[in-house]
Amino acid sequence: MSDINAVPRTDKAAADDVRVGVYVCHCGGNISDVVDTAAVADALSHHPDVAIARDYVFMCSDPGQSLIVDDIKAGKINRVVVAACSPSLHELTFRKALERAGLNPYLYEHVNIREQTSWVHKGDHERATRKAIRLTAAGVEKVARQDPLESIAVDVVPHVVVIGGGIAGMSAAVALAERGIGVTLIEASDRLGGRVAELPSVYPTEQTGEDLIRELRDHLFVEPLIEVRLRSRVTAMEGHVGKFRLLVTDADGASAEVRAGAIILATGFDHYRPADGELGYGTSPSVMTLPEFLGVLRDGSLANGELRIGQKTVKSIAFIHCVGSRQIEGVHAPQADGKVNDYCSRVCCTATLHAIREVQRRCPDIAIYDLHKDIRTYGRGHEDLYLQASRDGALFFRYPDEEPPVVADRSGAAVVTTKDVLTWGEELEIPADLVVLATGMQPRDISDLIAMRKLPVGADRFLQEVHPKLRPVEMAVNGVVLAGACQGPVDIGEACAAAQTAAAKAAILLSKPVIELDPFVAHVQEDLCDGCELCLAECEYQGALTMVEVQNDGGSVRRARVNPALCAGCGACAAVCPPRAINVAGWTLDQFDAMVDAIVAEDVESLARSERRARSFAPLAVTIGEASR
Amino acid sequence: MDPENGRLQADVLVVGAGIAGLQASLDLADQGYSVALVERQPSIGGTMINLSKVFPTLDCASCITTPRMASAAHHPNIDLFTMTEVQAISRTDDGFEASLVKKPRFIEEDQCIGCRRCEEACSVFVPDEYDHGLGARKAISIPFTNAIPQYPVLDEEACMLCGACAKACPTQCINFVQEPRSIAVEAKAVIVTTCFDLTPMDAKKEYGGGIYPNVLSPLQMERLLAPHGPYGAVLRPSDGKTPDSIAYVQCAGSRDLSLGVPYCSRVCCMYAIKQAMLLSGSLPIADITIYYMDIRAFGKGYEQFYQNARAMGINFVKAKVARIREDEDHNLLLRIERQDTGEGPEEVQHDLVVLSLGMVPAWKPTPDGMIPLQADGDGFLRLPQSPLWPNLTTMDGVFAAGVATGPKDIVDAITDAGAAAMAAANYVERARRSAPALAGATR
Amino acid sequence: MRSEDDLKILIITTLISSYPGANTVGQARLQYSPGTYIIRVPDPVMFPDDFYIQSLKKGIDGIIVMSSGSDCPYEGAYARLSARISRVYGRMKELGIPTNRLKLTTVCTVCKAAFLKEIREMQQAVLSDAAAAAA
Repeated sequence: MSDINAVPRTDKAAADDVRVGVYVCHCGGNISDVVDTAAVADALSHHPDVAIARDYVFMCSDPGQSLIVDDIKAGKINRVVVAACSPSLHELTFRKALERAGLNPYLYEHVNIREQTSWVHKGDHERATRKAIRLTAAGVEKVARQDPLESIAVDVVPHVVVIGGGIAGMSAAVALAERGIGVTLIEASDRLGGRVAELPSVYPTEQTGEDLIRELRDHLFVEPLIEVRLRSRVTAMEGHVGKFRLLVTDADGASAEVRAGAIILATGFDHYRPADGELGYGTSPSVMTLPEFLGVLRDGSLANGELRIGQKTVKSIAFIHCVGSRQIEGVHAPQADGKVNDYCSRVCCTATLHAIREVQRRCPDIAIYDLHKDIRTYGRGHEDLYLQASRDGALFFRYPDEEPPVVADRSGAAVVTTKDVLTWGEELEIPADLVVLATGMQPRDISDLIAMRKLPVGADRFLQEVHPKLRPVEMAVNGVVLAGACQGPVDIGEACAAAQTAAAKAAILLSKPVIELDPFVAHVQEDLCDGCELCLAECEYQGALTMVEVQNDGGSVRRARVNPALCAGCGACAAVCPPRAINVAGWTLDQFDAMVDAIVAEDVESLARSERRARSFAPLAVTIGEASR
Repeated sequence: MDPENGRLQADVLVVGAGIAGLQASLDLADQGYSVALVERQPSIGGTMINLSKVFPTLDCASCITTPRMASAAHHPNIDLFTMTEVQAISRTDDGFEASLVKKPRFIEEDQCIGCRRCEEACSVFVPDEYDHGLGARKAISIPFTNAIPQYPVLDEEACMLCGACAKACPTQCINFVQEPRSIAVEAKAVIVTTCFDLTPMDAKKEYGGGIYPNVLSPLQMERLLAPHGPYGAVLRPSDGKTPDSIAYVQCAGSRDLSLGVPYCSRVCCMYAIKQAMLLSGSLPIADITIYYMDIRAFGKGYEQFYQNARAMGINFVKAKVARIREDEDHNLLLRIERQDTGEGPEEVQHDLVVLSLGMVPAWKPTPDGMIPLQADGDGFLRLPQSPLWPNLTTMDGVFAAGVATGPKDIVDAITDAGAAAMAAANYVERARRSAPALAGATR
Repeated sequence: MRSEDDLKILIITTLISSYPGANTVGQARLQYSPGTYIIRVPDPVMFPDDFYIQSLKKGIDGIIVMSSGSDCPYEGAYARLSARISRVYGRMKELGIPTNRLKLTTVCTVCKAAFLKEIREMQQAVLSDAAAAAA
């Protein structure tokens, strides 16, 4: 083993409990061609906390790892620094080596002297070597102040509460039950199926919404693992991932507690209701919304090639898109919250064309006018509806974004006045026996639920996911998952996909009896905490940091306490704590101070033997707040 | 894995390690199911890892994809096979058997330390496919900066067998005679998440794609916009000039019966708007025009994104582009027919044109039935009609997600993938329940 | 006069963005001064005002905080961080420390050019301050 340059230390290593082993990797020349790795090991051997410093050609190889394992097993060292490549490549490799040797894997620090040293300072061997020494010394200072860490274990209630019994909630419940997970499905109304059950026909199977719901209900009711609670609401919610407690109150006012490891929100949407007089709605008998029109298609008014509404046989229908969606400030009246609905409701273009196709199929003689901003038939097969509607004679007009059409009632019939971009802004008057407003989606009012857990809501008032691109169904509140239109407009297939993804996220949390969370969360050292509460104002995670009464010398004092199941480990609290009583485990401020000391030090010998504050990051107890009822 | 005879047992085989395949694999592995994840490219990460930024958040694509790639690559329940293709899938008594072939990298992966010394030593340059031909790479190279795994590939076609790489390699891991390797995977369920190709640049001859140097594909523009792109700036390929006027031609490969792509590709409006916004950030004085039929900003936050782009001064012109020609300085002359002014056809000049190409499936079932799935008329995998089960295919136990079943943006692909994972998990559970003796037979 | 290579510039990076960004620079073998010391942290929001002041007093010549900006995974952390850095500027002025020795910026996983630019600018700032002080 001629590659090994071992510099054993015998003088005071045995005397203290901190004995760091330093291993400097050549990376087969990748590091050692620029950095004098032997000089780094030699310099570090003079660090007062270092018991052994070695350099070796490939630390990640089996013999390289064995050096560490053997030194630990021989009792020579109890902390490890490897100076090598980026930690993204081999930090885990070496942590596992520590574990194999019986040492806590977190008593390890990885120093990057390849990607951030040898590869970027090729021309200056001397300074690159000096930098590598300082960075490695900083790693030693950090690990010397490192305590063993354990992942945080949260017991899991193997049950999910799904709030909302529309298609998304039902779909999620069925998926979870098939997986073997118990579900309580809570629905405010007296029936399952939500908005979908109202639809006369569903693209592309053309079955009725009721039939589609029945199909899902057949799956649902054979599952003994699903408990359905109709006419019920969640009236209280507390706890955290793995262990939520909900109070469910039924229409008679009777309440019951339900415990769950995860919660799926599937509270759905409301149709936009046009304001009185908006595009003739409520003032002209010939104007109705698309959901109302779908009701007409369902109730038999359309029969024998004729559509009768009231006493009138409808010979022409004008469909107006983007009613309550894509609104523009200054053009449209604001909603109750003072803002306009500036979002696209996603489904209305296809839904409108689907309805147009239905009319064309059943009453080919009815003239169809379609007034839109853009036609957004994005889904698979949806473009065909547009092509076919156009082929079968529907006339399409494009109105300018800022100038929506005007609907007037003229002697019992509606007249739509619009500018048409497609004919160069010509103003047109379109008489229509019926005007159908393609109304958009709005979030269902669930302000009570939102208030219970400070659930994040977007500017569009829909529930907000933690990341709109990569984590589309998870919420910032760990363990609470989103399904369907409560999060934003989606069609039926998309709602089912979201629901089944939400079920997968819940199943991940519930797949083991215990959820293991990263140990890198804030930790309060109670004897240093003076109860000043400055940290509370910094914490963005509800319930992660609270004040508790602690007995102290016969009296009672207030101290900060972390709920590790709710803490994200950002450290915002640590920055404001005057006595430094609160720190993120694994990333303490004392560690960073010592690292800076090592970087500015003239040489390694001048670094004092670390004075370690007694700290304990022993496994933290995860507590669920006492019920306030 | 039994390396001796190249056999592996897994609960689920996932075909394709783009963002959908990664997500499906992670959603299964995190539930405790074992996954064999197969990717034919040398790196996982699919198309997403090489994008510049993503709409509507404008997050750096690499920054949000890399952690997900690393999680999958390091997951104890996931066996990852790169440069590996699925040759056949057949049904067995209790699931599926798939035959895979791992193509040679000509590198002993277990010895490689990812140091790129071979790449430095190599003197053969070839066009870089990850920069879509705009940059160059070596004949032996790690495919791109943040590739996972960080192993180089020796390009058999380009290599001159000079041996410089082998001499430079500190671990002697280059193996010029490496052979393809067969691997058999037994799985209880399969998820197909194969990727897409853009419609061909030259599909519409009248646009000059693939002929005029300054007519770019959207993925080329992604690379120009990426901070780690080929030129480090947005420059015209013909002369390295900073473009002052850039045009996007929407639906250049979609909603066009003549191309056999009558459908909407769902992402082109948004990527064009995103690129336009990024361009106006990096080239503040440039004019950017988007010629379109309908702007389909239908996803969450997309309409607001579109309106922001309009407010930023990006020109949206409802017009059809009839043809593009090039002048002697490689400027591009677009013959357009505005639909909003009533004026006759006109010719407008731009320095750079991006054709907003559409999506077509990169893999289709072949008539030999080696992978017995069925495609629909649009070429994407056929789904049963019910919207209740968005991931079923025509084969029981085989599920599909992402762009394998039609164009999707990233978030829709991720949501779809999670649902496919749940469907596959439940299929595995049913298989276990009906064959209790086999329960717990996985690793 | 000191060379830029003898400076001690502390670069605070985030696990999710700028630390991998620094690795990207290395993988591309782009060269920069060895007078740079990169440390990684979940989020720089955890450093108190005093950490910056004390580090500068101890002998760090300049500090570049390379945050994750809008990619930051922690709620509200970036807003708190930028508010804190503004406060630290106030204290630096009181103490007579040139404020250009501390910089808050955003660097992503592939922002090679931005990474190098920030280092160059910090070196210039520190060296011109030193020259001004010497004059």
